[in-house]
Amino acid sequence: MTHVIGQRIPRHDAILQVTGKAEYGIDLARRGMLHAKVLRSALPHAKLLKLDTTRARNLPGVAAVITAADVPNNRFGFTHLDQPLLAEDKVRYRGDAIAAIAADSLKTAEEALRLIDVEYEPLPGIFDPVQAMEPDAPKIHGESNIASHIKIRYGDIELGWSRSDEIVEDTLTTQMIEHASIEPHAALAEVDGRGMVTVHSSVQRPFLIATDLSKILKIPLNRIRVVVTAVGGGFGGKNEITMEPYICLLALKTGKPVKLVYTREEEFQATTVRHPYIVKYKSGVKKDGTLVARQARIVSDAGAYVSWGESTLSKACIHGAGPYRIPNVKIDGYLVYTNNSIGGAMRGFGVPQLGFAHEVHTDHIAEKLGIDPLEFRLKNALVDGSSLPTGQVLESVPLKETMRQAVQLIGWKKEVAWDEKAR
Amino acid sequence: MKKRGKGIACMVYPIGFTSYPNPSAAFVQVNQDGSAVVLTGATDVGQGSTTALAQIAAEELGIAYDAVTMVTSDTQRTPFDLGSVASRVTYITGNAVKRAAGDAKKTLLQVAAEMLDVMSPDELEAGDGKIYVKNSPDRNVSVAAVAREATLVKGRPPIGEGSYNPTTTFLDPETGHGKPYEAYVFATQIAEVEVDTETGQVDVLKIAAAHDCGKAINPLLVEGQIEGGVAMGLGYGLMEEMVLENGVVKNPQFTDYILPTALDMPLIETAIVEVPVSTGPFGAKGVGEPSLIPTAPAIVNAIYDAIGIRIYDLPATPSKILAALKEKERANILKEEE
Amino acid sequence: MIERQIELRVNGQSFTILVKPQDLLVDVLRDQLGFTGTKKGCGTGECGACTILLDGKPVNSCLMPALRARNKDIITIEGLGTPEHLHPLQQAFIENAAVQCGFCAPGMLLSAKALLDANSHPTETEIRQAISGNLCRCTGYAKIVQAVKAAAQAMTQGDGNP
Repeated sequence: MTHVIGQRIPRHDAILQVTGKAEYGIDLARRGMLHAKVLRSALPHAKLLKLDTTRARNLPGVAAVITAADVPNNRFGFTHLDQPLLAEDKVRYRGDAIAAIAADSLKTAEEALRLIDVEYEPLPGIFDPVQAMEPDAPKIHGESNIASHIKIRYGDIELGWSRSDEIVEDTLTTQMIEHASIEPHAALAEVDGRGMVTVHSSVQRPFLIATDLSKILKIPLNRIRVVVTAVGGGFGGKNEITMEPYICLLALKTGKPVKLVYTREEEFQATTVRHPYIVKYKSGVKKDGTLVARQARIVSDAGAYVSWGESTLSKACIHGAGPYRIPNVKIDGYLVYTNNSIGGAMRGFGVPQLGFAHEVHTDHIAEKLGIDPLEFRLKNALVDGSSLPTGQVLESVPLKETMRQAVQLIGWKKEVAWDEKAR
Repeated sequence: MKKRGKGIACMVYPIGFTSYPNPSAAFVQVNQDGSAVVLTGATDVGQGSTTALAQIAAEELGIAYDAVTMVTSDTQRTPFDLGSVASRVTYITGNAVKRAAGDAKKTLLQVAAEMLDVMSPDELEAGDGKIYVKNSPDRNVSVAAVAREATLVKGRPPIGEGSYNPTTTFLDPETGHGKPYEAYVFATQIAEVEVDTETGQVDVLKIAAAHDCGKAINPLLVEGQIEGGVAMGLGYGLMEEMVLENGVVKNPQFTDYILPTALDMPLIETAIVEVPVSTGPFGAKGVGEPSLIPTAPAIVNAIYDAIGIRIYDLPATPSKILAALKEKERANILKEEE
Repeated sequence: MIERQIELRVNGQSFTILVKPQDLLVDVLRDQLGFTGTKKGCGTGECGACTILLDGKPVNSCLMPALRARNKDIITIEGLGTPEHLHPLQQAFIENAAVQCGFCAPGMLLSAKALLDANSHPTETEIRQAISGNLCRCTGYAKIVQAVKAAAQAMTQGDGNP
C-alpha cells in the first residue's frame, strides 16, 4: 500500500500563489464599493469631552460615519469584556478607535477623518507596568491596574531553598513585537436584500469573528457569514475581530459593500502586539547540578485592554519552570494595564518570553556550578512520566532525543554521554 | 576581533487551548468516482494545514491525495472549528477529519462486504483506491465502485462526520493544578554565532533545530514551519523591537522596525523527531509555534559562549553588546589595579 | 487635478489609461488594470511585495509614479507564467515549498527572475542579495533560496548549457 502520510507534498494552493491568482483580503473588490477609514485617538489616555462628526458627514462623497452610539453592543473581549469597538467616554491608548467612515474613495475617507471634531481632556498616562502596579498610579479601568494574577504552586518552595547548595537569581526582560504579517488586516463586508451580512476577511478564526459579530451587531449567526480569503500571514495577529464590526455597520447603514485595509502604520499602532515581559527568576540547585527549586515572578504589560493577555500569561506560567524536573516551584504572573499598545495572541503565546528567560537563566546556573550547559540540561530534563508544576504527568517526552539530534546536526563543545533509554 | 560561540536552548510547548474546550468538526463525502470532498472550518494561514488535512483524509479513506478536495473556513459552508491558533490544527482538526473520513469509510466497508462476499466489514481495509480483504488483497473492489453502489443502489451515500475536543481540565486558581492540555511537544535548538567585538555585531552562522512533532504528516511543510520559526526567533533575539514613547509607536514602518532578510538568515539544519502519540491523527502533534521559542535564547547563550557577555534584555543589539563589553573591560582594569 | 492619458505596456500588452501625477504604479496596476498579483504590504518601499520588473529591473511599484513607467516594459507576476505554462521559477517555488502564506511570492519571484536573467549561475550569497529587498515573515528564506537554485539549474539545463 502507498501511504499519503509522511509524503513531501507541496501546498494545495501554491500554484495560485505563485501565479498571482490567490485572492487575499487586500484584493477584494466589488462594483460600487465604499472605502472605510478609522479615526484613532490622538492621545494615549484622555476623557472624550466632545465628538462632532457633522463636518465629516457633510463632505461630498461620504456615505456614512459611525461612532459608539451606532454600535448595538459596544463591548468585546475573551476573558475580560473591557474593550469598546468605538470609544465612549474615554480613550486608553493611541490605537483606540473613535469613529469610522465610509466614502466613495479612499482619499475622501481620509479627508473626512480630518473633519471629525474631537475634544479631549488629557488624563495622566502610565506606560511602565511596574509603576502601574503601585497603588497610587493613575487607573486605566476601575480600581486597580492589575487585571489578573496567575498562580502556580508545586511542592514546597521553602523546603526547596533549604535543600539548595546554591541559589541563582536573574531578571530578564523582553520587548514588544509586532506580528508583521506582510499582508495587513483587510476585509470587505456586504449585505444582501435579505439582510444577510457577509464578511470576507483575512483572518485565522472565522467562527470567533462570526460569534463576536453576532453579539456586537445583535444579529443571529444564521444571518452572518464569515468567509476567509487567502491569508497573507497571521501569527496570532489575525486571531480576533479588528475591523469587521466597523465595515458591517457601515455596509448595513449604506447598503453598499465596504472595504477596509489597514495601513502599515495602523498595523503597528492599533493592532495587537506580543506582550513585553519582565521575569524575575530564582532557582535553587544542588552542587551536583540537580535543580530543586524555582521561583518566577512575571509582570506582563497588557496595554490598554486585556484581549488575550490573561490566557497568554496563563500559558507562560504553566511553562514557567521550563522543560525541567523541579520538585518545588512557585510562579506568580501579573497582567497589568498600561496606556501602551494592546498585547494579544502571538505565535508562542507567552512561552517565547519565558523561554528566553528560563534558558538564559539556566545557562547562568550551569556556569555558576561549573557544569556544561548541555549536561546540566540533560541532568534535569523532563522525561516520560515527569510532572509539570501543574501536577500533570507527561507521557511522550522525547526532549533528550531532540538534544541528541540537535547535537548531531551541529556538534557540541564537548562529548556528552547519551543515556540510551533516555528519551 | 571576531569570536565564535555555541549556545543551546530547549523548550516544552502544549498543543491546543489552555483548559477551555476547543473542538473542531469535519464532514466528508466520498463521491461516486472515488474522489472525496472534506469540509472543515480550519484556516490555512500559510502553515499548510489544508494540505496536511487532505493527506489525513486520503490516508484514512485509502485514496490518493489528489482525489481529495478541501472546502475550508466559511462559517455557513463548513462546520465549526475553533481556529488556526495554538498549534492545534494538525492535532485537533486532524483528528476530526480522520474521524469524519472513518465515518464515511464505515458505509463503504459495509457495502463492500456484501460486494466482496465477506462476513464482516472488519475483514476489510482501504488503500490505493481499493477496498480489499485484509488477508487476500487480490480480492478487492475499487472505492469508486463501492461509492457508486452505496449511493445509487443501496441509497446510502458514503458521508461522514467527526469532531474532536482534547480532554482538559481548568486549573485550580490557588495552586494552578490541573490538566490544561492533552499533548505537549519538545524541542532543542543550538546556535553558532560570530561576534565582532569592535562593532558588537552578531553573525548567526548556523542553527540546528530538532523538533518533536509526534509524526510528520508532511515533512516538507514541517521543515518550512521550523525554518520560518527560526527566522522569527532570530528577529526576536537580535533586531525586532517596537519602540514606544508615551504610548506612541516611534517606529511604525519596516524602515525602523527591522525584520530579518534573506541576508540575515543562517543555514538552518532541521531534524524532525518522530515519536508518535496514540491521541494524535496517525501519531501527529504540532509544530507551528514551538519553532521560534528556543531560537532567541540559543543565540543569546551562544553570544555568552563567544565573548562572556550575557544579555538579559531582548533584543541583543550591537549597542547593548558593545556597552556590556566596555563595562566588562572597565571592571577588568579595576580588578588589575587592585 | 490634471489627469493625463498615457500608455502602459504590461506583460506585452498596451493599455491606454488616465492617470494623475501622484498616482502610484502599484495602485494603477492593481485598481485600474486588475493586475492584483502585485501585492502591497507597506507602501513605503520596504517590504518588496509590490516588486515588478521595469525594463527587466526589479522596482518597488509603491514608490513609482505611474507616469514614470511610460514607454517602459512592465512585467508583473501575471506575465511571468500562468498555471498552464509555469515559469521554471514558479515550478521550483511550488516543488520546494518556497511559499507559505504566499503574499511575498509575486515580488520574490520577480526579483529572482531579474537575478537569473542577468546571472544564470548565481551563488547562494548572490541569491540572498537579490531577494534581500523582499521580506518574508513565514519561510525563513531557506526554501526560497533552494528554489531559486533549483530553477537556475533547470533553466540552464533547458538551454542545453551545462
